Amino acid sequence: MKHLWVIAIFLLGSCSAGNNSLSTNETAKQELTQIATVTTSHMINKDKNLPKETSSDPVLTGIDPERIEIPLLEVDALIDGQGLNKKGQMEVPDNGKDVGWFELGVKPGARGNAVIAGHVDDYKGPAVFFYLKKLKAGDLVHVYNKAGEKVSFKVERVVAYEKDEAPIREIFGPSRDGRLNLITCTGLYDRKSNEHEKRLVVYTKRIDS
Amino acid sequence: MKKIVGSALAAVMMFALMATGVFAESNDAMVRIVHASPDAQAVDVYVDGNAVVEGAEFKAATDYMPVPAGEHKVEIFAAGTKDNAVISQTVTVEAGKAYTAAAANTLEMIELVVAEDSMQATEGKTKVRIGHLSPDAPTVDIGLIGGDALFSGATFKAFTDYKELDPNTYDLEIRTPDGTQVLDLSGTKLEANMVYSVYAINTADKLEVLVLQDSMVMPSEMPKTGMGGASESTTDYTTGIIASVVGLGVLAFAAYRKRTAH
Repeated sequence: MKHLWVIAIFLLGSCSAGNNSLSTNETAKQELTQIATVTTSHMINKDKNLPKETSSDPVLTGIDPERIEIPLLEVDALIDGQGLNKKGQMEVPDNGKDVGWFELGVKPGARGNAVIAGHVDDYKGPAVFFYLKKLKAGDLVHVYNKAGEKVSFKVERVVAYEKDEAPIREIFGPSRDGRLNLITCTGLYDRKSNEHEKRLVVYTKRIDS
Repeated sequence: MKKIVGSALAAVMMFALMATGVFAESNDAMVRIVHASPDAQAVDVYVDGNAVVEGAEFKAATDYMPVPAGEHKVEIFAAGTKDNAVISQTVTVEAGKAYTAAAANTLEMIELVVAEDSMQATEGKTKVRIGHLSPDAPTVDIGLIGGDALFSGATFKAFTDYKELDPNTYDLEIRTPDGTQVLDLSGTKLEANMVYSVYAINTADKLEVLVLQDSMVMPSEMPKTGMGGASESTTDYTTGIIASVVGLGVLAFAAYRKRTAH
């Protein structure tokens, strides 16, 4: 049992200039109590068949992704599960037409940041995510599982990062929302390192379908 | 709950970025805020005088937000007000670490409880810890129903160490050390490659849990998502050479025309 919590310094006396902040604090609490309404009515659940009710969160169920559809770009591609290579990079399909889902992370639709990556070009020409940079906030992305169940996402923003400067945790890490981030390459292709100088990330968030 | 995107906090970050020229993540800490004070109304949260969360209700948790390493003033106000802070504390955060700052306890005793969160997930395993944030709940154990305790002696405002388990759906319960069940948590799904904090919140008679993802298995680098067949390239000298040869040819031709014109 380790007590990790820290009581930081209470800045009594510096809350607001000219006030006695001890009483200020009390006043604020009173105000907060007065306007407080009972928001926590149920939540205790004696029925063992519904254990999830003891959790404060609605469950967001993800799907095993099989196919991605981006209507605006006329993209309709198959999804492969991908892990990590020895360098610790996310692996991607070896062809330009399929896309890869990072299967060590969360499933599209579940809480957290799910990631699907696809090539911008192959050796000969444009690949599946060539036009990804045309997406704008509000555009839609749909993901289907084998059974045809659909989860839909709405684009929030599109950001290009230098290859080594992308915020990995923001793209691949935890989230309270069901998020799906699409990755492809952008910028100039460096013939020395054989890769693009930048990465494009399309941040999307699940919408209720 | 509304998070303020593009707030002054982000501006501070941008400034830090520009000042150092180094990638943000290396200088930033990650902080998330949880409203765990059962009788407190919706709140606004300010960091260094800038609103970062508006209208957070009890049980709300933000995602991790990047915050520059160092000391920060965290102030919590009743939603829509900015006169009397119910909490005003300085919190020190270190670069590259993740924290949860919870507004805990009853409103009368409200305080900020800060914990450092794990950023290390294990491939094929699940990691979990318990945060006891129920002000009037007794010391509890968390264990398998009819089985061993996984976490023992959790007290209010304390966080247990993380425990690494096989991913599975567990029939857990919160119970007093003498074995009396306080809350049935059967069917708790702990998935592979994930790190969780399970917060016991609300008052003892309405005890419930809030499960947050602390981390997960992530790549260390972005994927290589292009082969160059339809992109302009940086060090493609051939193009440059062709361009100069053509350019010279045009010049030579122009010079020739000029001469013959005379």
